[in-house]
Amino acid sequence: MSTRLREAAIRHLRAHGAVSPEGLVRRLTMDVEVDTQIEMVTLSLRNGELQCVSSDGQNDGRHVIAALEFVAGFEQRDDSLLPGVETVTGRRSLEPPQQSELADALDELLIAVTRIGIDKARYAPSVDAALERVIEVAPEPTPPGLGRFIGRLRQEVLSGKPRRAARILEGAARLADALKVESRTEASEERIRAWLGPRPGSVPELELLYDRTMVEVAREWLAGTTRASVERRYLVDLTAGAIYREDRPSQATASLGPCPRQIHVGLAEVEPGPAPQRIRVLQYEVRPEVPAESWERLHQIARRSFAQLMETYRRAVQVYPTLAEPFALIAPYRIEHDDGFIALDSEGHRLALERTERRGSVLAFYDLLNEGIEPAWFAGRLTDVGSTLCISPFAFATRNHDYTRL
Amino acid sequence: MKKPVNRKTTPNWTALEHFLREGIASTECGDPREELGCAADADDREVARELVRATATNDIEEIGTESLHPEAARHPSVRPPPEGAADPSFLGRLSATGTGDISVDQIDDVPTILAVLRAGSRKQRRAALKRLGERLRDRRGVPNDALRAATQTITELRDVEIGYELARLRTELPGAPGRKARSEHERWKRLAAEIKEAVRSFWDGLLDVEPIHVLPGDDRALLLMRTPELPAMVMHHINAIIEGNDGCVPRESRVGLLASFRNATDRRLVPTLVAVIESARGELLAEAARVLGGIDDPRAHPALVERFERSIVSEERVALAGALGMHGDCRGLPEVRSLLQEDQPASILHALEAMESLGSSENSELVVRFLDHSDIGIAVQAARTLTRISDGRVLDELGERYNTTSVPALRAAIEDALSAIAARMELRGEEVAEIDWSEVGNKPAPRQGSRDSLPTIVLGWRDYFMGRLWLLLGRINWAVARFESAARRRAGWVVPLIGIGMAFARGKQYALALPAFRRAIELDRPRIERNPILVRAMAKSFLHRAEQVEREGRDDIARGLVGEVLTLDLRRAPGTVRFELKRKHDVLGKEEHDDVHSAA
Repeated sequence: MSTRLREAAIRHLRAHGAVSPEGLVRRLTMDVEVDTQIEMVTLSLRNGELQCVSSDGQNDGRHVIAALEFVAGFEQRDDSLLPGVETVTGRRSLEPPQQSELADALDELLIAVTRIGIDKARYAPSVDAALERVIEVAPEPTPPGLGRFIGRLRQEVLSGKPRRAARILEGAARLADALKVESRTEASEERIRAWLGPRPGSVPELELLYDRTMVEVAREWLAGTTRASVERRYLVDLTAGAIYREDRPSQATASLGPCPRQIHVGLAEVEPGPAPQRIRVLQYEVRPEVPAESWERLHQIARRSFAQLMETYRRAVQVYPTLAEPFALIAPYRIEHDDGFIALDSEGHRLALERTERRGSVLAFYDLLNEGIEPAWFAGRLTDVGSTLCISPFAFATRNHDYTRL
Repeated sequence: MKKPVNRKTTPNWTALEHFLREGIASTECGDPREELGCAADADDREVARELVRATATNDIEEIGTESLHPEAARHPSVRPPPEGAADPSFLGRLSATGTGDISVDQIDDVPTILAVLRAGSRKQRRAALKRLGERLRDRRGVPNDALRAATQTITELRDVEIGYELARLRTELPGAPGRKARSEHERWKRLAAEIKEAVRSFWDGLLDVEPIHVLPGDDRALLLMRTPELPAMVMHHINAIIEGNDGCVPRESRVGLLASFRNATDRRLVPTLVAVIESARGELLAEAARVLGGIDDPRAHPALVERFERSIVSEERVALAGALGMHGDCRGLPEVRSLLQEDQPASILHALEAMESLGSSENSELVVRFLDHSDIGIAVQAARTLTRISDGRVLDELGERYNTTSVPALRAAIEDALSAIAARMELRGEEVAEIDWSEVGNKPAPRQGSRDSLPTIVLGWRDYFMGRLWLLLGRINWAVARFESAARRRAGWVVPLIGIGMAFARGKQYALALPAFRRAIELDRPRIERNPILVRAMAKSFLHRAEQVEREGRDDIARGLVGEVLTLDLRRAPGTVRFELKRKHDVLGKEEHDDVHSAA
């Protein structure tokens, strides 16, 4: 495929989309007919890179070329290259000198926080200045991983939890190491990709999903460089039981629909990285009502062993102490809520409620339990308090498939 | 040359946590280098790295080593102690939820329940209505007079804020009111079924417009009044619109939809409202806060507090303060008071609204002065706020305004306020204020028609009856011509004008109905205001015409129409229509132009 065609398409997407006063065009989806065969083609500009895919799974097929021609306005072209491998260097990429700057800025932030201490960090101008510096030297717009780090660090500093803050900072220190290392390893590459997105010139190792049925069980707003900068939706794959996160930055779009909803995913990309893995739903159909059999399936795939759950959780935070925010669907064997809340599995392992985060939801959950509601399963973000595995509840459903979002 | 490493076998984790908390520069707990096994001359970068690495590694390794950490085992339902009631009287201490020492569900005396229904807070009124329903179902020990009074109150009460609870209770009444309520419920069921199908089509891509957004205003208000009975799928759809995840509804319409839920109690809205409170700004946030304030749910208060503490925009803070007031948290009162004292035009209306839940008798003097405000909307809101504050000391002032104002809507609001204050005084054990309506009811005399000669009267009635006949035969134009002829013959005769208005309203020709209604109002306003059928047709005509011109993009004209009809006494119009008119007025513009003529 022509590089000129791709360049022209990128130019037109930027000219007509990126600078439009009405908003940013990040993805175009169109139905293209070639020789009576109709396919849906998705074009998206991500980190300066044009990604093209058609609903028959090809990214350089005739439908993709026709779509690019449509966008580019039928310009002449004379050479060919596969889409997805060509790099467009933009201001959004992180050049080697900037990488070193970012690593230094992260180190400075680490020193600023540990020097002043967590208790005083929230009022410390040195910490604010270090955070500003990190944002300043980071690529624009701030990559989601880095943004989430800033959001989580601010949150932990505010709540005054030194151990949790140490974990967040440890993740940043590992990123700084990965950015500084001369000869990149697979692990360091993966870490950088999780924090800063794919490096210019690299081919992101995306897993493509076709024809999956998923149910969104929960969503929440998370802090990044600003409060409530990302809406995160949790999608459960009814076939494999995997849980994905779909992140929608504020002022941007993602897949449409309410929570809960069932979506039939025609095509989606899954990024490797911290749990839960990030998904980009490219082609989908929405059903605002979730059928009973899907609720039943969710109950079947919910985790029943808390020991296994804890192992999974520990592994996730060991690898990504900052970015891992595991989410789980749990079917407890028994719930005790007379004197505190404890969910038990069949082997007697315990799971407690995280009380401080999402306080209102915890209270509402507890009130409903006191009213006699018995959850068949519940979903929530995993965390730990002291050394106990806890869950911050987001939603639950009864055996009658009465779903409640918390 | 670096000094040798002095590594301990096992670090003291408590000491490391202390260093993290207090900072490595702190000297209270010794030198962190020693604890971490760093070289004595290691720089801060190395110490900081080692400190977070060691702490994080140990913290993660510890996960699962303890069956139940004491912190995790703490009871999750521990709530902050409730703030002391500002009002120590019976009504101030009366609990709506059954948790306090005096609770509405313990009251057996029907007159007391009726007084709470007039003078209580929104939650108390809801609880009183529920209790009244229970007393009507179990009539043991209830005197017949009290039963009659209760039935009459339920039939006649026009409290939009508890519209859903009223509508439900009315379906249980015997006779015509019950039949009417049941018939309205059937209409709602049909509408809900249609909407459910339309929602399904919308998500299937068969409809390109959002189905609730395009409903006529009164139908939408009717549909959303019974939110708790809506199917789950419709509620999920509504939540998607409010969150902006439907892909087509513009922001202004989201604000409008949120305003429709001002009196909702459905907990299924709470997660979405909390999400909007967390993420939105400006008008959208303010509307979400107002809705959330009215829903009794443990998720509401923490979300409102968190946002109130970090918001700096006045519009948002006033709405959040009012919503917190509904949950018994008066932290925003000083700010709302100061806004009213500063008399900032942009904030008065919403500050007065917030004062409904925040205000006490100490604030009544501050509110009373807005009864004279040139903006009728603000004056009416001040009367509503005084209704909720219910301070007996403002009775005289209210009576005086009642006699001096010529705006029917303000007179109606003052009547409600006087009645609520009397009920509150009764509940407080004070001497019941007997309102002498002959004194305060110094209403302007309706315009008397000129005396017509007998032949003129006969000819006028002949034309009128001919008009009715043509109407029966479906000849609207001929009928209208006859009505016009009758009106020409007798200049002060309102009946044919009402006939024209009603004929056009039934034919959904609202633009033609308005002039007739306006002429009728000019001749004999009380006749229309006191007749529920006429006032409903008139209010709906104004509402639907406003929607028509709004769809044409002429928002100013729509705002003018809604503002015009809101100056009338609409208490006999259906609650859904009144609510929708008020909502549309709020949504169409913050400030009504001064040059909008009063319909009075």
